[in-house]
Amino acid sequence: MATTASLFAPTGLSLRGRVIDRRIGKGRRPHSIMAQQEQQQLEQEEEKQQQEQQGTLPEQQRQQQQQPKGQPQMQSLPRQPMAKSKNMSREYGGQWLSSVTRHVRIYAAYIDPITHVFDQTQMDKLTLILDPSNEFVWTNETCQKVYAYFQELVDHYEGAPLSEYTLRLIGSDIEHYIRKLLYDGEIKYNMNARVLNFSMGKPRMKFNSSQIQNVK
Amino acid sequence: MQQDRLSDWLVKHELVHRSLGFDCRGIETLQIKTEDWYSIAVISYVYGYNYLRSQCAYDVAPGGFLASVYHLTRIQYGVDKPEEVCIKVFVPKNNPRISSVFWIWKSADFQERESYDMLGISYDNHPRLKRILMPESWIGWPLRKDYITPNFYEIQDAH
Repeated sequence: MATTASLFAPTGLSLRGRVIDRRIGKGRRPHSIMAQQEQQQLEQEEEKQQQEQQGTLPEQQRQQQQQPKGQPQMQSLPRQPMAKSKNMSREYGGQWLSSVTRHVRIYAAYIDPITHVFDQTQMDKLTLILDPSNEFVWTNETCQKVYAYFQELVDHYEGAPLSEYTLRLIGSDIEHYIRKLLYDGEIKYNMNARVLNFSMGKPRMKFNSSQIQNVK
Repeated sequence: MQQDRLSDWLVKHELVHRSLGFDCRGIETLQIKTEDWYSIAVISYVYGYNYLRSQCAYDVAPGGFLASVYHLTRIQYGVDKPEEVCIKVFVPKNNPRISSVFWIWKSADFQERESYDMLGISYDNHPRLKRILMPESWIGWPLRKDYITPNFYEIQDAH
C-alpha cells in the first residue's frame, strides 16, 4: 500500500497547525506532513513526493498491535461488553475524537489548511493546532520544535488504541513540553494577547535556576 | 435477638457464610463466598429482604481483595426498626467477577456499574455493564489503591 506524502505551505493562513498520519493501531505507514505557519510568506506552493520503503510495509502490516516502546500503562481498552455505539459510524462524525486544552488541540481528523473544514473520514490522521489564542510568542524554530516533539510522541504511542484517553495523554505531554520551553526561556508570554492570565506561571526573573549564573 | 436471625437461619440451613460481627449501628455483617453469592441473594429475597438499600465496593488492600458490599433491608409497613443485614463478598484482584443481582433487586443497576467503573469488579449477567462516571475510553480503575493518575495537564499545581 503505497501512499504519498505531500508537503506544502499555503499562504495567508491564520492557524498554526500540523497534520500527522497516525500510525496508531496499524502497521507502519508513510506520513503526510503539512506545516502551516503564520510568519511564513511563500510565493509558490511546493510539493514533495515522499515514498516510504515498500519492501518493509507488508511485513510490518502483519503486526496487529505494536507495543509502544516503554509505555507500561498502555493496555487494550477495558472489557466493556455492553458499550455499543449509537449507529453513527465514524464517517458521519459519530466519533469525534479530540483532546482540547488551552494551547494544544488534537483532532483525529484531517483539517483542510485553507478552508479549515474538518474531514473526519480520514481517521488515520492526527491534526495538531498549536496555541490558537496566542498566549505565547511563537517563532519558526519553536513551532518546529513542538511539531517534532509531537511527531516523536505519535511514534512513541504507536500501537495504542485510538481513543480520547490516548489523545489526552498526547496533548498533556505536549503541554508539559510547552511549559518546559517556557521555563527554559525559549518562548515567552505574548503581552498583546487578548487574555493575559499567565496560565503557565507568573513571569519570573528566571524560571529555572539553571539560567541564573553562579548558582551554588 | 432479632439481629442474629439471618445468621442463625443460614446456619440452620447449612449455608456457608462467615459472620463478621456487628457494625456500629448494630447491623449484622456477613461474608459470603463468591460462588455462593447468587444463591444466597435469591434466598435473602425469598426470606423477605426486598430492598437493596445500597451496593458499594472498596479496595481492601493493595495486592489484596476487592470487596463488594450489599446492604439489604426489608420494607414493610408499620415497623419501627426494619431488619437489615450487610453482606460482603470478597473477590481477588486477578479475577474480579461476581454475579450480578440486578435481576433480583433492580436498584443494583447503576450501583454495580459504578463499582465496575471505579474498581473493575465485573458483574456477570448485568445487562448494561459499562462505565458510568469516567469517560468510556478511560483506562484503569480509579479507586483502586494502586491506581496512579496519569500526568494530565489539567491537573496542575497552583502557581
